[in-house]
Amino acid sequence: MKTKIAFYRNKLNITQEELASLVGVTRQTIISLEQGKYNPSLELANKITKVLKRKNIEQVFIL
Amino acid sequence: MKSKINNKLAVREMMKYSFSLGMIILGLIFNLLNIGINEFVGFNSVGSWLIYIGFLGIIIITFKLFINKKRVVDERMIFVANKAMRITFLFLVIFGFIIIVLDGIKSITVPYHLFMSYLICGLMLVYFISYKILLRFY
Repeated sequence: MKTKIAFYRNKLNITQEELASLVGVTRQTIISLEQGKYNPSLELANKITKVLKRKNIEQVFIL
Repeated sequence: MKSKINNKLAVREMMKYSFSLGMIILGLIFNLLNIGINEFVGFNSVGSWLIYIGFLGIIIITFKLFINKKRVVDERMIFVANKAMRITFLFLVIFGFIIIVLDGIKSITVPYHLFMSYLICGLMLVYFISYKILLRFY
């Protein structure tokens, strides 16, 4: 799954480590998500969307 | 919420300690009642081996408590762990089939406790390796 996590993260000046601690996962998971290797659960996708201050999940995660 | 998590952790530690203590007590009872006094995995009796395992368990649990490293277990790790578990199960089935065939060709004379120890160690190794490899792919 393609994501725009890196784009919005850089926009908000958040590091991978910070984002990981904010959503309660490891940095490796954030790396996997940004590379599109791992498909997150709806819960995690929602958390990331909220932390990145987006309204819809579709803005961050592209199917 | 935090106290609930701490309570859960404390219960888990207590369970680990009681399991180790149980092994020591069982070992002592076995030794006192002269049960399993044959040579067993390098020990002179099953009881001595149980006592050794119990002490080893207590040392490891205490060591882990002192390190007190905060571990984050996220959904990706659980996902990978499930996949590794599936691979380990598949390995067990294939290994079991090979053993059945081999035993048919020539009887396996390894003592049962040694065979099971090797099997458990092998399964843990397969699980660990597959988990570490899969973590790179997901």
